[in-house]
Amino acid sequence: MNILTIFLLACVTFGTRYLFLEGRLPLRLGSNVKQLLSYSGPSVLVAMCTPIIFVHDHRLDTSLDNPYLWGAAVAILAGYKTAFNIYWCVGAGILAFVVVNYQG
Amino acid sequence: MQRAQKALLKAVTKGASDMLPLSFAVLPWGILFGSLAVQRGFDWLEAQLFSGIVFGGAVQIVTVELMANNASLFTVLFSAFVISSRHFLYGLALRERLSIKPLRWRLGLGFLLTDELFALSGDRRAYRNRFRLYYALGAGVSFYLAWNLWTFIGIFAGTSLPNLTELGLDFAIAATFIALVLPGIKTLASFAAAVVAGVTSVTFTLWEFDLSLVCAAILAMCVGFSIQKIRGQA
Repeated sequence: MNILTIFLLACVTFGTRYLFLEGRLPLRLGSNVKQLLSYSGPSVLVAMCTPIIFVHDHRLDTSLDNPYLWGAAVAILAGYKTAFNIYWCVGAGILAFVVVNYQG
Repeated sequence: MQRAQKALLKAVTKGASDMLPLSFAVLPWGILFGSLAVQRGFDWLEAQLFSGIVFGGAVQIVTVELMANNASLFTVLFSAFVISSRHFLYGLALRERLSIKPLRWRLGLGFLLTDELFALSGDRRAYRNRFRLYYALGAGVSFYLAWNLWTFIGIFAGTSLPNLTELGLDFAIAATFIALVLPGIKTLASFAAAVVAGVTSVTFTLWEFDLSLVCAAILAMCVGFSIQKIRGQA
């Protein structure tokens, strides 16, 4: 029974992922929709990472001893300083996070 | 011939290495899932099968709890559908590039299309040529293997490990996403979209709203698009 449910769950996750990749699906995206979708990447990424930074234990955490906040600030700064080099940006952000996290 | 193969191999390893911070960032969640499933009475094969074929962090953690509490099949599947609904957005965003590719690429990359793979799909040339496809394959497969390995560790060693989700490894996700998103924020429209996405996503998350991610992203997209239209006409 469990196995069957797991299989059906796989159909749900795969179905939602695959549906719009199917070319035979009778759906043409107009230029407005395409422009709208061009904002999906940044919008989704920001919508995913801001709760990680700001929400801890179901509460808004904007205090200065929130290591996520420092890490994010340093990552953004490093990004602009290094012409968006992804490794510098991630590395500097994590370093700042670790320093603040293990100091307090 | 040999040179072409080498180039493809390089694309695969580049994809895998770009994915590496995200693969490690989900380690605590993979372990948590594996150990949770075993604690809730699933055998190891079922637990591994979750990661092997369902392959979705939040879906797995929520549905394993629901199934353990004997929720109805409809509840289980509907919850999975709600959490998975964000994938519709990814599919739509990549439709133009991927729907013209051969079936095996669509099936393969469709199966691997997680939040993390979508995060690495922002490049204008993403999925456009063979190298870009192999790059995505390297990223997607490496993430799949990592998620399954973490689950495996969780199944067999989960109870003897401390809770790693408090370690802050999730910051690596935030940092990587920041790095990926920054270069794209060049116009007022994209800046406004980012601000709206952040504010609404945090607000909806505080409200514990199930569709927080999708709704925040759609609102942000509409704001960005509207500003682009208004400024375009001015």
